Amino acid sequence: MTDKLKSSSLAILLASGISLTAMNAAIAEEITVWLWDMNFNGATMIEAAERYKKINPDVTVNIVDFAKADVEQKLQTQLASGTTEGLPDIVLIEDYGAQKYLLSFPGSFEPLNDVVDYSGFADYKVALASVDGQTYSLPFDSGVTGLFYRSDIYGDAGYEADDLENITWERYIEISKDVKSKTGYPTFPIDINDAGMLRILMQSAGSWYFTPEGDLNLKDNPAFHAALDTYSQVLQSPEIYKPISGWTEYVSSFTSGDVASVITGVWMTATIKASGMPGQWGVAPIPRLGSVEGSVNASNLGGSSWYVLASSEEKDSAKDFLGSVWGTDSDFYQKILVNQGAVGSLLAARDGAAYQASDEYFGGQAVWQNFSEWLGNIPGVNYGIFTNEVDSAVAVQLPALAKGASVDDAIEKINAQAQSQTQ
Amino acid sequence: MTLFDRVQRAMVYVLLSLAAFVSIFPFFWMIVGSTNTSADIIRGKASFGDQLLINIVNFLASVDLFSVLFNSTFIAVTTTFFTLVVSSLAGYGFEMFRSAFRERVFAVLLLMLSIPFAAIMVPLFVMMARMGMINTYSAIILPTISSIFIIFYFRQSTKAFPGELRDAARIDGLNEWQIFFRIYIPVMRSTYAAATIIVFMANWNNYLWPLIVLQTNEMKTITLVISSLASAYYPDFGLVMVGTILATLPTLVVFFVLQRLFVEGMVGSIK
Repeated sequence: MTDKLKSSSLAILLASGISLTAMNAAIAEEITVWLWDMNFNGATMIEAAERYKKINPDVTVNIVDFAKADVEQKLQTQLASGTTEGLPDIVLIEDYGAQKYLLSFPGSFEPLNDVVDYSGFADYKVALASVDGQTYSLPFDSGVTGLFYRSDIYGDAGYEADDLENITWERYIEISKDVKSKTGYPTFPIDINDAGMLRILMQSAGSWYFTPEGDLNLKDNPAFHAALDTYSQVLQSPEIYKPISGWTEYVSSFTSGDVASVITGVWMTATIKASGMPGQWGVAPIPRLGSVEGSVNASNLGGSSWYVLASSEEKDSAKDFLGSVWGTDSDFYQKILVNQGAVGSLLAARDGAAYQASDEYFGGQAVWQNFSEWLGNIPGVNYGIFTNEVDSAVAVQLPALAKGASVDDAIEKINAQAQSQTQ
Repeated sequence: MTLFDRVQRAMVYVLLSLAAFVSIFPFFWMIVGSTNTSADIIRGKASFGDQLLINIVNFLASVDLFSVLFNSTFIAVTTTFFTLVVSSLAGYGFEMFRSAFRERVFAVLLLMLSIPFAAIMVPLFVMMARMGMINTYSAIILPTISSIFIIFYFRQSTKAFPGELRDAARIDGLNEWQIFFRIYIPVMRSTYAAATIIVFMANWNNYLWPLIVLQTNEMKTITLVISSLASAYYPDFGLVMVGTILATLPTLVVFFVLQRLFVEGMVGSIK
């Protein structure tokens, strides 16, 4: 492998005679990665790069971090401009946006089928990054959801862990009302402007805003109807939730002990463990939609995956790197689980020691084992190109639903707004 | 003073106090935040804590402060200098020299003010890529130095520049360049001061364009670094507050140094 040093410098002579010099240097066999959150995604990438050094010492990994919205903005602008200069070799993309990039910029990403055995990964993570039988991502962190609950408060109200296993939303709302009347605690935080909970409900029923073909799937979609109906029942029981606004208030509601539970992604585990309530928390599977056949007690919120740019000069190394470390190294996944609390999507990793360990913070529960079990059950859905657009159409109707508006009317309005925005 | 006057006065002061509170509170919050842990900030603790040193150490550990400040300062100072030279010359020219096309050209310029930056971002990126300027200071500096707003601002201010001075200078034998550099600039120094503050702040805080054209950690400006720190899944807000203070200080210093002239400049421009 020859190291090739490419450097170009440019001097611009301005009217006054002062020159500006700028250097742009790139070294071959350096893989550039764009990502967000150095403490989480960055730290796992550094660990992976160190492991790859042992396999292929000639390759170095150069990490550039931006805010998540900034990575998306840069990627979007550069792909739209049609110039490939300056694009990274590997980029992290949030799962909800995957189809948007893959379908809007065909040919810009490399299929990884020849270096990754996708049967070893959670089905839903593979489905969301596949187009026409090709899969483009190395599935990374999962947003497998759980019902985090305060075992002390639930215990006072007379509920044990078993009472939360395999339940429906109808039952969960009943329990919530009972917990409220016995202990005074509202069950969960709700941001009326956020449709995140609806995403969880829908995916647990194996459905989404779009059909697998990518068409709008709102009217005559029993899962969407059931999800919206269930959520409106929650919204109409103000005693069981604490209204909050924005992310900080949301996190603060359960870390400062204002609510008795929260349904969210596994990535919240570290935050809950940092809230200083050891032995007072437990994790149960999320409730399922009782009225929808095939709905399961598992779903997803968020999560992201790695993609290789087709324009990359180092794409063979980049693919080899992802395939050999991220694609197979179960020990690597134990390490990032312990150090960063990152739950990957490689199913074989769950047999490792770190996944088997029990956690005293959660009363000795083997939480990672539980999460990775649920991970395998998450139904695969097509997130489509316009998830964010439909999300905002849904969010607009939530306040009316809280006041008791008809679910069918709300669906009509959501459908109309979504249609006009997604054409 | 009648009772009515007193009440009216009190109302004015209440309103002014409210407005002052709204303006000052973010700064107070930023400074208090830098002395607290992230958890305390989320909890809304509004009193000073003892975490300042720890936050500073953490900030320095995760950010290459020297290179970040150098990038931001170099870009902001260079851009400010060239914007003032180029745009004030243009504003002066538009007002001083008559031509048949002057108003039409100027009208086109003003129309261009209404094009949002997002609309020209992709073509501008393509242009920079073809010129080989991606990830360079020049890519940020060059597109901003001819600022239509500053041209407009100087043209309006030049209306107050006494024509007699120019005539006198001509009689004394100065050529047009000498009049601009030796007479116009010293006379208009308060206008320059105001423009310096406006341009410096806009470029120091510039976010979208540097984000698009800068590609490596070594080239990042402070706004990009803070944005990245603040968007972690579980951000350390104490560290973010330290960064925000560092990002705010230079604009405050520039403002206070030029404050007296700035006020004159603003008053002068409405004459």
